[in-house]
Amino acid sequence: MIAALLSLALLGAGADPGPLRMLGPAPRGELRRVVTLAPSLTEVVLALGAGDRLVGVSRFDERPEVARLPRVGGYVDPSVEAVMALHPDLVLAQPGPGNRRAVETMAELGAPVLLLSLGTVEDVIAAERATGKVLGRPAQGEALARELEATRARIRQRARAERPVRVLLVYGFEPLVVAGPGGFADELLTDAGAVNVARDAASPYPVYSVERALRSRPEVILDAADTPAGRDRIRALPGLAEARWAQVPGQALLHPGPALGRGLEQLFSLLHPGAGR
Amino acid sequence: MTTVARPLRVPLAVRFTPARASLVLGGLLALAIVALGASVLLGEYPVHLLRALAEPASADGRVLFGLRIPRAVLGALVGASLAASGSALQALLRNPLADPFVLGVSGGAALGATLALALGLQALAGPSLLAFVGAVAAMTLVLAAGRARSSPYAALLTGVVFNAFAAAVITCIKTLLTPDRLGEVLTWLAGSLGYERPRTLLVGGGLQLLALGVLWAESARLNLLSLGDDEAASLGVPVRRTRALVLLAASLSVAGAVALAGLVGFVGLIVPHLLRLWLGPDQRLLIPASALGGAAFLVLADVATRMLFPLFHAEPPVGVVTAVLGGPLFVWLLNRGEHPA
Repeated sequence: MIAALLSLALLGAGADPGPLRMLGPAPRGELRRVVTLAPSLTEVVLALGAGDRLVGVSRFDERPEVARLPRVGGYVDPSVEAVMALHPDLVLAQPGPGNRRAVETMAELGAPVLLLSLGTVEDVIAAERATGKVLGRPAQGEALARELEATRARIRQRARAERPVRVLLVYGFEPLVVAGPGGFADELLTDAGAVNVARDAASPYPVYSVERALRSRPEVILDAADTPAGRDRIRALPGLAEARWAQVPGQALLHPGPALGRGLEQLFSLLHPGAGR
Repeated sequence: MTTVARPLRVPLAVRFTPARASLVLGGLLALAIVALGASVLLGEYPVHLLRALAEPASADGRVLFGLRIPRAVLGALVGASLAASGSALQALLRNPLADPFVLGVSGGAALGATLALALGLQALAGPSLLAFVGAVAAMTLVLAAGRARSSPYAALLTGVVFNAFAAAVITCIKTLLTPDRLGEVLTWLAGSLGYERPRTLLVGGGLQLLALGVLWAESARLNLLSLGDDEAASLGVPVRRTRALVLLAASLSVAGAVALAGLVGFVGLIVPHLLRLWLGPDQRLLIPASALGGAAFLVLADVATRMLFPLFHAEPPVGVVTAVLGGPLFVWLLNRGEHPA
């Protein structure tokens, strides 16, 4: 039984599709009807200046530019029928086991699907290039990618002159969910000259041990929680009370997309208030 | 709740006759066909039926044959399986609270699927496959325990204990998961009808026909078994063999249903009880009636989830709808049944 499970796990890992994958028929001609299944992918299309081609978005999309567009469900549970009813000539989706059957079905029914992972900064950069190319705006895609790469290089350079800061980035207090290793948030913290004290965690979004958080003595605690529930209790704890508490500036740092560069600059200024411009 | 244990006081009106059975089953079949029709006709995509039938390769045709019909068939298969197995298990275990998941099948299936989702097994339809493996493993364990002590309560208790154990392990796995994976596990556990390939439906349908066929074939002996083991044995029923056969068929059927649709709750409890209130406890009629009624109920509940999409911008899991619709309806009918006017 265990051997069977392990071999299944290995097979699963071996079939890892990588960050970019096309499903279904190849997109043809100029794409005019694009459906996105995640807000981050909507951000990419908007940043490419192709917002007028969007005909449907996920129910989590909040940008005013897409407020009037039909909703086609969420990242885990897109409605195949709602997507197909919009007659898309391209569907942009983040791959995941929850939506795998749904996006495969869209592809089988004749909708070209571009799967774009957005787990790391490299993924985001690759997604900008790929989306630019498929939408016939390769120059804009390349510009977005270069811009993010340049911002990273510049901030890394400036961070070298600063003393490393021990940081805990908190997504939620009850339970304590923090930014662990292996995701874009951890990468950007490192770029900005921070040491992520939760880098020993198991995943990018772990439920973290409160006692481990105390012991790790963060100097800065970045609050990215949706609700203040449980914050006061955590904030009163020894080892955390002495840290500098700061709200994550804006949403730019929380969603993998073209705004990550801006988020990185804000993060750097926040962590190193003394650093010159 | 002594409906199961009073087969000897069946009023004349609910006695089994071929004419009455054909009438009841015909009516339920018609209901199931209406439900399937609604499921094929209603949805977010405006399907032009004539165009779809004339040109299967058109967009309308692909939605009809690629989405609507497979999903309706899946709902019918899962609903029939859960309700018929529920009816058989309630009779076999002489417990009106028995539902298809009580024999550890839900715990085993959920554990398998959660493991698959946690390990990120996207290939080979990981969650469904491991759910089936987990359900069959749990069922084997429970059957072995039931065989060791020849009493229906041993199987029932082992099932309940195994489900609690599995729930604890699942909770442990959940704490180790990232929020996006957690969402997938929760959606899976709530039970929902997706889009399966025709081949999968064919295999699943074959399994269900076989299992439900066995249950129906054993239904007369199941009636006698509800009198008690000794009484049934004195009437010539091979008690152990019948019990093992019914447990095996019901559990395989439920394992198949769970692998296809996750844990769709309530269907296996409500549908057989509703039909028992109406038809009496004769399994010869109840098992096929439950299969047809369960198919109709789940397909209609699935139509409701699709109708809710414009409201929520999401389809709620069909298990939620079966519980929300079925719970109050059941309580109302039960109270009405216990205080006849």
